[in-house]
Amino acid sequence: MSDLALKPLSAFRGHLAFTGMSEASGAGVTLEVRDDLAMAIVIARKGRLAALAENVCQTYGIDLPAGPKRVAAGSLAFIGTGPGQFLAVEQGGDALTFASRLAGALGDAASISDQSASRAVLRVSGPRVRGVLAKGLAIDLHPSVFRPGDAALSSIALIGAHLWQLDERPTYEISVFRSLAGSFAEFIWSSAAEYGVTIDNP
Amino acid sequence: MAAQSQPARLQSGGLIDRARPLEFQFDGRKMTGYAGDTLASALVANGVTLTGRSFKYHRPRGVLTAGSEEPNALVELRGGSRREPNTKATTVELFAGLEARSQNRWPSLTFDALSVNSLFAPLLVAGFYYKTFMWPAAFWEKLYEPLIRKAAGLGRASGLPDPDTYEKAFAFCDVLVIGGGPTGLMAALTACRAGARVILCDEDFGFGGRLLSETFEIAGISGASWVGETVAELAESANVTLMRRTTVFGVYDTGTYGALERVGDHLPTHVPHQPRQRLWKIVAKRAVLAAGAIERPIVFGGNDRPGAVMAAAVRSYVNRYAAVPGRRIAVFTNNDDGWKTVADCAAAGIPVEAVIDPRANLPEGLRNLADRAGATLFAGGRVLDAYGVSSGLQAIDVETAGGSIVTLNADCLAMSGGWNPALALTTHLGSRPVWRPDIHAFVASAPPPGLEVAGAANGSLALAACLAEGAAEGAKAAEAAGFSASMPAIPAVGADPTGMMPLWKVERSRTKAFVDFQNDVTAKDIAISESEGYRSVEHLKRYTALGMATDQGKTANVNALAIMAALTGKSIPETGVTTFRPPYTPVAIAAFAGHHRGKHFRPTRLTPSHLWAAEQGAPFVETGQWLRAQWYPRPGETDWLVSVSREVNATRSGVGVCDVSTLGKIDIMGADAGAFLDRVYINTFSTLAIGKVRYGVMLREDGIVMDDGTTARLADHHYYMSTTTVNAAKVMQHLEFCHQVLWPELDVQLASATEQWAQFAIAGPNARDTLRGLIDPEFDISNEALPYMGATTLTICGGLPARLFRISFSGELAYEIAVPAGYGDGLIRAIMSVGAPFGVTPYGTEALGVMRIEKGHAAGNELNGTITAADLGLGRMMSTKKDYIGRVMAERPGLADPERPRLVGFKPVDRAQRLRAGAHFLPLGAKAVAANDEGFMTSVAFSPSLNHWIGLGYLKNGASRLGERVRAHDPVRGLEFEVEICDPIFIDPKGERLRV
Repeated sequence: MSDLALKPLSAFRGHLAFTGMSEASGAGVTLEVRDDLAMAIVIARKGRLAALAENVCQTYGIDLPAGPKRVAAGSLAFIGTGPGQFLAVEQGGDALTFASRLAGALGDAASISDQSASRAVLRVSGPRVRGVLAKGLAIDLHPSVFRPGDAALSSIALIGAHLWQLDERPTYEISVFRSLAGSFAEFIWSSAAEYGVTIDNP
Repeated sequence: MAAQSQPARLQSGGLIDRARPLEFQFDGRKMTGYAGDTLASALVANGVTLTGRSFKYHRPRGVLTAGSEEPNALVELRGGSRREPNTKATTVELFAGLEARSQNRWPSLTFDALSVNSLFAPLLVAGFYYKTFMWPAAFWEKLYEPLIRKAAGLGRASGLPDPDTYEKAFAFCDVLVIGGGPTGLMAALTACRAGARVILCDEDFGFGGRLLSETFEIAGISGASWVGETVAELAESANVTLMRRTTVFGVYDTGTYGALERVGDHLPTHVPHQPRQRLWKIVAKRAVLAAGAIERPIVFGGNDRPGAVMAAAVRSYVNRYAAVPGRRIAVFTNNDDGWKTVADCAAAGIPVEAVIDPRANLPEGLRNLADRAGATLFAGGRVLDAYGVSSGLQAIDVETAGGSIVTLNADCLAMSGGWNPALALTTHLGSRPVWRPDIHAFVASAPPPGLEVAGAANGSLALAACLAEGAAEGAKAAEAAGFSASMPAIPAVGADPTGMMPLWKVERSRTKAFVDFQNDVTAKDIAISESEGYRSVEHLKRYTALGMATDQGKTANVNALAIMAALTGKSIPETGVTTFRPPYTPVAIAAFAGHHRGKHFRPTRLTPSHLWAAEQGAPFVETGQWLRAQWYPRPGETDWLVSVSREVNATRSGVGVCDVSTLGKIDIMGADAGAFLDRVYINTFSTLAIGKVRYGVMLREDGIVMDDGTTARLADHHYYMSTTTVNAAKVMQHLEFCHQVLWPELDVQLASATEQWAQFAIAGPNARDTLRGLIDPEFDISNEALPYMGATTLTICGGLPARLFRISFSGELAYEIAVPAGYGDGLIRAIMSVGAPFGVTPYGTEALGVMRIEKGHAAGNELNGTITAADLGLGRMMSTKKDYIGRVMAERPGLADPERPRLVGFKPVDRAQRLRAGAHFLPLGAKAVAANDEGFMTSVAFSPSLNHWIGLGYLKNGASRLGERVRAHDPVRGLEFEVEICDPIFIDPKGERLRV
């Protein structure tokens, strides 16, 4: 069967070939496709949130956030998405086994739904990144309001989006449904072109 | 040299950049202006007085104001696809190569054929259209309306697609300051120093407001210098965003403001990747409205003659632009502010012929000013009429205090009837202004929450009051946003007297006296409106079109109210108030659309096999946001029906594959998942065995079918639901509602998995053999191990996790196989590879549709929001042993009526006849009237299996009428044919093919 071994296709494949970049190319915004993230929805079972928190803390050394926050330890992060609901994100791990590894570790305190393939994630940074996101995102990203570790479920240019801030540069990761990667890339392109766009891993 | 070409430009002064001359054209005439000019000021400097013709009477008109309230000087800007009609010359920033044309004139501006309308003016008064063009009614569409449309209107749209791009953006701040004049600058400065995040917007390309146009000194320096210093401090502050060329045009709920930034309108050419305009949604904790005030004209005969200019606008042209609107100026003012024009013109060396002030007793200082300017003073006088030719004013008749009439020569009449606070934004959420008798103007009563009004916009017209109020409101706003603010020192300014005596309309004028310049409404029209009983402001507005032009009557409304008040003997506040709606000034629809136009109107979702399908040359169809392959044409196939029929035949005889990833998929987990499903589906799922799939129907609360689909039980506490493509989000929302609101006590966890799984239907007699090539050898998918309606998880292609369901929409032996979506592209290629020996054929949505119609499966056309489970023939699925959403309401007599239309199949009696969806069913021989309607055709397809067209539809008592004939009546296409009623399952009614 080895001749049939399937390789995953990036959701952004064919969508980041921006052409006609402005003179300022490279200056404003830097993009990096995050195809190396494994993801799963983790939802506490009825009345088991405390047990889940305990499990997560003991297993991963992560205190589950109580709100829309991202808490990370090593390559793993938990992002609050709703009461008792989280998106677990692992960088660099085996996406095909992530959900079952989580399930094994967290036991019956949580239900887990594999989402590794469902999202397309872009890391965006650069001096003009806030200006670019302001063209589609109705959330205040000013450093006095939205800080590293903050997360938000919202929409960008009519595309449902999950966004979290990694550092103060600032760097954000934005996750959209996989099928919308092309439209999302178009938004980034049309909004960032005047400042210039660099793609780290085209 | 440049000065020579600009005969009305002062030799020095002004805030223009004489080092940067700019060539431009008006009506084909080449002229020169300077950077810092508006089109209007450049026209004034070039001695152009006539800029256009009026809307109704085609009267010659010139520049009236120097701001965005301009009703007269509307021009067509640019050309080709960028041609923009009705642009206010007073707000157009001059750029090199600008081309503008006057509007509403033919054949030329100075000789306009339709100005004969003026001769018929007695016929064209208010209500003329209503009275004259009423009948015969048939003439309206064919004759009257085209004629009126040709005669009226301003400018011409380009009629071409807009080549520019537009953008929408969001901004947030603690304090939004609207208006960058003295008030706004003080407010912004105070809030900025308190540390608040400030956004300061001004519609002009320069901050400063009236300070740019007046000769004020502030703290010992010129107003313009003070503006420069203040703006410099704001610009250096990281917490301040300065937005020039940005009009805050609307106030919306909870501190949200709409603003339009003109990013590129002042540039000669389009900057790549930059939008022409940007529409901002600004969310502000607090806002200060410092929009200033708008000077109102005085209503007298010929007050619209080119050369009759607002007094403050004259100062703008003289002081800011060093452009002189006349050689012999007369000033007609009822207030102290208007006298600044006398002083400034005199200082600039422009002869002031006369000053006419209706106030009989003028202060000594003003009398001396008239003397110094060498102007004849008519204290207690009035201008009765202004005369001239189309190119401008030549003389005015003045009625003196003693009642005699004196004719004076003047080519420019500066007029001021006082000031109206620019309170439009305060009324956007419904509050009505109140009359302030001490300043004879309306002010805001209850501004929108979070917004305070300051300075001239608040009726505080003197400069000192503007500065103080701006600072106070800026501090208040910052405090309210959580900052600690202290009042700055208020810079010292000189006296700025604001005395006035109201004068709305001059009696005994002999010629036409205009109230609304843009819509050509005269004082006489208001009198007619009153005499015909249209006395309420709202009636007045609609009867005369007063205030209904694009300027919303900024210079007209208060004068009109005052005139109506005088006619009815009431006070102005008793007469009524006028309110304004967003936008404050017109906003292009394109700006509201932003990037979302054309194919970017809404986001597009691509399926996991999209890239591969595109390689196959498949045409795509939009299903909601999704693009799905419609069919896969083979070389030589030019007709879609040929391709689709081939795909159906290939599937039914061999094996076909279709991307069905767009169907909604939901993981339903937890100990109570089964119980939860029992409550949302009409049938039972808690009893479903692990490894089995069941078809389910869910109802809305009102008993109507919401959606259908299959749900598999993958583990004890894990179900996997599928929904229709179109209802995926709605069903997820419904389930979340049911869980969070109705039954929070259940141990249920929901997660959308639609995007996680690439899912392909593999259908046809060779489906299993094809699959066998993919499934890892340790898994048994024989008919015994995985029978019809079985489900399992396994691995394929050497260890890739997959979910496999033996379900069928096509009616054939069929499976749906799901892998993580990233592997979808690889999987479709693998299926095509392992299926090649079996002739595997990809099929698109059309073949999918044909096969489901052949099998009588309901889809979107059938689930149309009016249908019950019983209508679909699924009445027996409705469990009587449990409760579920919609059960009670589905028992209502109307929904339970056995005579309701039922889903049945149809065949054309003439088998060659093509069927048409939407056709209505009538008994044979019955008249085609609604009373005889028995139902309608929902879906049709050409069945390659039966070699004729087939249809599904709802027919009254349908299930008991199999074999009968009815007429299918299609008035839309003008078709009528007989059809035979049959079972909706056309192929393999016993379902034997499913189970092999």
